[in-house]
Amino acid sequence: MTYSIIARCPRTGQLGIGIASYSIAIGMYCDGAVRANTGVTLTQGHPNPRNNYLAINLLAQGRTAGQALAELIGNDADSEYRQIAIVDRENNAVAHTGASLRKWAGHRIGKGFVTFGDVLAGQQVVDALAAGFEAAPEAGLDERLLAALEAGRNAGGMAGGKGRLPERSAAMIVWGNRTYNEVDLRVDLHERAVDELRRIYIDYKPSIAYYEERARSPRNAVPAMEFADMLKNQQQQKTT
Amino acid sequence: MTYSIIARCQRTGRFGVGSTTFSMACGRRHESVRPNVGISKSQAFYLRYVDPLALNLLAQGYTPQHIMRTLAADDPDFDYRQFGIIDRENNVVAHTGPGCGQWAGHTTGPHYAAYGNGLAGPQTVAGIISGFLKQPDAPLEERLMMALEGGRDAGGQVSKGVKRPERSAWIRVVSQLDFPEIDIRVDLHDKTVAELRRIFEEFKRYRDYYGARCDHPRNAVPEEDFVAGLDARAA
Repeated sequence: MTYSIIARCPRTGQLGIGIASYSIAIGMYCDGAVRANTGVTLTQGHPNPRNNYLAINLLAQGRTAGQALAELIGNDADSEYRQIAIVDRENNAVAHTGASLRKWAGHRIGKGFVTFGDVLAGQQVVDALAAGFEAAPEAGLDERLLAALEAGRNAGGMAGGKGRLPERSAAMIVWGNRTYNEVDLRVDLHERAVDELRRIYIDYKPSIAYYEERARSPRNAVPAMEFADMLKNQQQQKTT
Repeated sequence: MTYSIIARCQRTGRFGVGSTTFSMACGRRHESVRPNVGISKSQAFYLRYVDPLALNLLAQGYTPQHIMRTLAADDPDFDYRQFGIIDRENNVVAHTGPGCGQWAGHTTGPHYAAYGNGLAGPQTVAGIISGFLKQPDAPLEERLMMALEGGRDAGGQVSKGVKRPERSAWIRVVSQLDFPEIDIRVDLHDKTVAELRRIFEEFKRYRDYYGARCDHPRNAVPEEDFVAGLDARAA
């Protein structure tokens, strides 16, 4: 009851995750899943919280995504209940969908990305995630991840025995080459988590450069409240 | 404008941070907490690379006191920074530079620090601490939640005489494993501390179920059935 995309931007080398789930606070399960200049991974379905760390440590040792995936499967007596994807910095993308996951479960491997999920409406959801991601290849990785999630949702998202399951939480994460993330946004509990993620992203995006600049030049910084008011005025001008 | 508490649980040794602010998505900064090492949480005019650096220094064996001097020596704008650092031996330091604006300040305790800037006054920090100390035997995450509520109820954030809303909030607690025991967030909301409390209460209902689903997937019931059971019990 989760669908995701993990991806490497071929232009910038940025690594990222887009994820939406019926489970709450799904962003918590992305912990440790990305490391700059190393790779991106995610274990879902029945998550194994140690997997993200192990996979990234293996990639950091120089293992390929394929080798790391084999190690994760070998290390886990319940691997048939896990869904695992890994993309390394060489653009190798691999995935494993355990045979015991709830249907429909599966993955689709693209160039430098994987789309995958369980308890989905069907194959069309992972296909739509991929199509959403590839629709605007020149866009920023954050935009592409969000577009993928929206496409997955529009293609039917998750479906249990009694029909459609709402997206109750979502997250979008992008790392560049630093020791911390560039974008890390979450919705932990909401009736329309993917819409809410989009709303937060629209408000958040223009402030990224502001907060970086204000830390570098605090003496000249525009106060946060004034900046927020400025943004609000700009948005109002756009809509009128 | 932000207020935070960092703490080490005296019973379990767990580390936790609670933070709320006018800025969006304050919980994106999970680089500030490291299991078995400590917490370094900077704010005001913060540089993101400082917390990972401070934690690397802690992991190498330096004390928080020494790290604070190291950071000060390397930063011409140290007067604009605010941060707190705590290690696994309960050493705590906090710094509030005079450039952090009015009102800004911190209070350190034997195993915690509360600090903020753009606040109503020292009463906000006092409110954080009284919330944190209210139930000393409660789990750390409960105490962090009460600390944020205490800060909010004591006046929270004020800028140029005007009350400023908390728009994002975050609680994270780590034990000995890499993976956090709890990490919940509100990234943009007009009553964010209340929304964090709502999510926290929901999360507690799911916590054991999610843990068992990871550890014993063979026995896991479908989540929508679990949720139906929760709703039935609540009715």
